[in-house]
Amino acid sequence: MKTLRRFVRRLTSWTRTHRDEERLRREIEEHLAFQIEDNLRAGLPPDEARRQAMLKFGGMEAMKEDYRDRRGLPALETLLQDTRYALRRLRNSPAFAVTVLLTLALGIGATTSIFTLVQAVLLKSLAVANPAELYRLGTEARCCYWPAYSQDKEFSIVSYDLYKHFRDNTQGFAELAAFQAGGALFGVRRSGAQGSAQSFPGEFVSGNYFTMFGIKAYAGRLLNPSDDRPGAPPVAVMSYRLWRERYGEDPSIVGSVFNFDQKPVIVVGIAPPAFFGDKLSAIPRDFFLPLNTEPIVEGDDDLNQPESWLDLMGRIRPGAKPGSIEAQMRVELKQWLRSHWGDMSANDRARFPEQTLFLRPGGAGISSMRDQYEHWLYILMMVSGFVLLIVCANVANLMLVRGMERRRQISLSMALGARAGRLVRQALTESILLGIGGGAAGLAIAFAGTRLILDLAFPRVPGLGGVPISASPSLPVLAFAFSVSLLTGIAFGIGPAWMTTRVDPIEALRGAGRSTARTGSLPRKTLVVLQAALCMVLLTASGLLTAALRNLENQKFGFAQDRRTIVSIDPRLAGYQLGQLTLLYNRIHDSLSSISGVSAVAVAMYSPLNGNNWGGGVWVYGHPAPGPRDDNFAFWDRVTPGFFDAVGNPILRGRGISERDTMNSQHVAVINEAFARKFFKNEDPIGRYFGRPGASPGSHDYEVVGIAQDARYLAFDFDKPIGAFFFLPAAQYDIFNNGQTEPDPGSHFLHDIVVVTAPGASLSLPQIRQALASVDPRLPIFSIESLKDQVSGQFTQQRLIARLTSFFGLLSLALASFGLYGVTAYNAGRRTTEIGVRLALGASRMQAAGLIVRGALVLVAAGLAAGLPLTLLAGRFLGSQLYGLNPYNSVVIMTAVLTLGLSAFIAALIPARRASSISPSQALRSE
Amino acid sequence: MSEAKEKKDVLQGTLALMVLKTLDVLGPLHGYGIARRIEQISGDLLAVNQGTLYPVLLKLEQEGSIASEWGASENKRKARFYRLTQVGRRQLQTEKHDWDQTAAIIARFFAVRAEELK
Repeated sequence: MKTLRRFVRRLTSWTRTHRDEERLRREIEEHLAFQIEDNLRAGLPPDEARRQAMLKFGGMEAMKEDYRDRRGLPALETLLQDTRYALRRLRNSPAFAVTVLLTLALGIGATTSIFTLVQAVLLKSLAVANPAELYRLGTEARCCYWPAYSQDKEFSIVSYDLYKHFRDNTQGFAELAAFQAGGALFGVRRSGAQGSAQSFPGEFVSGNYFTMFGIKAYAGRLLNPSDDRPGAPPVAVMSYRLWRERYGEDPSIVGSVFNFDQKPVIVVGIAPPAFFGDKLSAIPRDFFLPLNTEPIVEGDDDLNQPESWLDLMGRIRPGAKPGSIEAQMRVELKQWLRSHWGDMSANDRARFPEQTLFLRPGGAGISSMRDQYEHWLYILMMVSGFVLLIVCANVANLMLVRGMERRRQISLSMALGARAGRLVRQALTESILLGIGGGAAGLAIAFAGTRLILDLAFPRVPGLGGVPISASPSLPVLAFAFSVSLLTGIAFGIGPAWMTTRVDPIEALRGAGRSTARTGSLPRKTLVVLQAALCMVLLTASGLLTAALRNLENQKFGFAQDRRTIVSIDPRLAGYQLGQLTLLYNRIHDSLSSISGVSAVAVAMYSPLNGNNWGGGVWVYGHPAPGPRDDNFAFWDRVTPGFFDAVGNPILRGRGISERDTMNSQHVAVINEAFARKFFKNEDPIGRYFGRPGASPGSHDYEVVGIAQDARYLAFDFDKPIGAFFFLPAAQYDIFNNGQTEPDPGSHFLHDIVVVTAPGASLSLPQIRQALASVDPRLPIFSIESLKDQVSGQFTQQRLIARLTSFFGLLSLALASFGLYGVTAYNAGRRTTEIGVRLALGASRMQAAGLIVRGALVLVAAGLAAGLPLTLLAGRFLGSQLYGLNPYNSVVIMTAVLTLGLSAFIAALIPARRASSISPSQALRSE
Repeated sequence: MSEAKEKKDVLQGTLALMVLKTLDVLGPLHGYGIARRIEQISGDLLAVNQGTLYPVLLKLEQEGSIASEWGASENKRKARFYRLTQVGRRQLQTEKHDWDQTAAIIARFFAVRAEELK
């Protein structure tokens, strides 16, 4: 009776409406007292009288619940009650609670931080009005310059003339705006300010750009169509970021004059803070200028060139159908092309019938980042999903153990009349509570993790804007984290909760906790097998990515990396004209060479793996003109004399670019081996000629004077063999027979100075800066870094992915080992008696331990077997991200299997040794 | 699960009717007294856990059919006494009527079947 009363009091103490409970308690007490009195009167002994009274009264717990259900808001109260009860139970086992919370936080944190990136890069709309009304031209993001009259697959970027044609003829758009596909780097200096110009990214946009996006100026005004007319005074809009970070929101900036590449431009307003331009990129734009200022600022009239260099985006009129606009634009494209029939080359005309275009939703902007990172993000999402699964399996395992330990308590509750449904609900409440708690902690981890990933993936250039992705959780991310927490809570809670209902009260109450030994063993084993399988997939994936990264980093680049420093400049920003450049490069060469310890200096448009390169068609003299289907593409570079020695790229035959190659001498080119193979096959290239169709009318422009060994200059296409490449002298301007002027003046503004130091010598940054300042103090220096860093900088993202996956792989290995340890320890504990008997009958301790270890290894082997097909699938999924590494690489797979096997062995050995070290008599006594 | 619940509901409905009738006949009575009375009348035919009475009493009180207050029992114990209210009296009449009707219908069904079998 005393126990019962205490139980009743305990039950009542944590209910809300204490009074009702109290009343019920007293009534029950009275009721029992009456009954006991009657029973005593009937002649029963006191003990029996009480027992009979209790029996007659029936299940106390069930009745009380029934009673409570009839009062107030039962569902809410039960929930509160369950929650309070669960919290108290968790408080009573802090080790368990902390382990589960930490594990969950890691799993949910990893998934959430990756989802934050997925959301920002793949799902998020631009910060503009009604992004759903925006449509863009093209299905993929194209950069820079494309042919005017024929493009592969689709017309994705257009010329200014074609833009005007679309803008003036397409009725379905309320506004159709155009903006530069490639973006520009401006050397910007506030008029009257001291110091050299600083470079900031910007782009030329049509006058209706901001109207089309439907955004308002933060300060001043944005651009309007009257700014975008020939002869209009040059104006610019500044990003909020730059205004705040560099000018402290100084209101006098609006209306003041800035020099853009030495040309005065008035900043008329500040864009709103959330607006980062029309595309998500690692370095967001800081300036927006009208298209018509392009000829003034850049000096090379792209506006009236036939080349395609503009992205299009439009806001459709309410009710207009994108499908019919697309159809109309296709017709307009054909009309426009026909009206330029005379300007088109034979190849353009041949490809006329297949020219088409596509209109796509543009609310998310024109994201090259999406194209670039989509696959990576899916990989990371899968990886973190796997980690979450392993975490769930692990926590489910812990919950099952807990369920076992609580079996007696549950049996008691059930014997007292608790409903099975209620007990399941309580167990579920506990696991959902843990899930939500883990989710909250996971959010913190996710925030820190996202920040870290962003910093590592997109190292911030000082002074420029960072990638416009916020690490702080947005509403969709919060919703995601919450649903993941809830789902995991249910996922790992439902099994153990269900198992509680299968408890037979009598069995459990019989005393020995071993009676229902078999229950719960199978689910736990299944979980271990699942963990091992998932872990194997992750380990293999991380092994593959790491091996692929190592292949990338240790590949034969074909140039020397040691003792090379790359100084990045831009003469255009200092106001140099084409004719002054050769002298400038000579002076740079002389000034830097005079530093002691410097053994060679050369300047190039692009140094190896600089990240960018020019390319175009090639027409070999004596061969037929390339047709529309012919692959005649080659990349090229412009360099000063001594370049090949400076980068350590050996010349195999002939000579490199030298001092002999002047403006007036025969125009020459050095080609690489791939170029020789591609265009000359079995012929000897030395002394032969080729031209650049598109740039020149003929094929007699350059004489091949040397063949350089194949080297990796391109920072992309790493999975492909080195392609055709040629080098032109910086001093030679392409002025062709027909009197056409230099077609690519931009290629003469070289960006990279290669400085080679003698072995053992060291070069300090101030020395370099001083030497360049003595040439021209206005010359902006973007960066100074070793060629080694420039090369490894190309693999930042691959390295990050490989490291993240490895981290997740090791985490899952630790979790899986921990899970296996738990199961083995539990099984070993149950088999104590059996081991005792075996030992008593003469088995050695080794044999006894072997018994346990074998059981564990069988589980792992099953996991490996289950994981193998998954692993092969994962390898195929990784496929193109492995840069030519075989996704079924047996060494990697074997290493993963061995690592997992070894960890499993250790995880199983510890409990096995403990179990087998028991003395037989002790084991038998424990029965 | 759902089947079991239905059975209970029927049982509780009947139990409520029994409680109302008991209070109608015997006047104010405490829980134990009501339980005893129901036991006496139904004999061994109805094996009800006495505990199940209390949720029913609460429900009836919430519906206003009965009222309760603390009082002293015959052997000087403090106990909660339940009495029938005006609402309860009306409810008893309606429920008795319903019950009679149901019983009559069921009886008729059985009668029809019996004739057919002959």
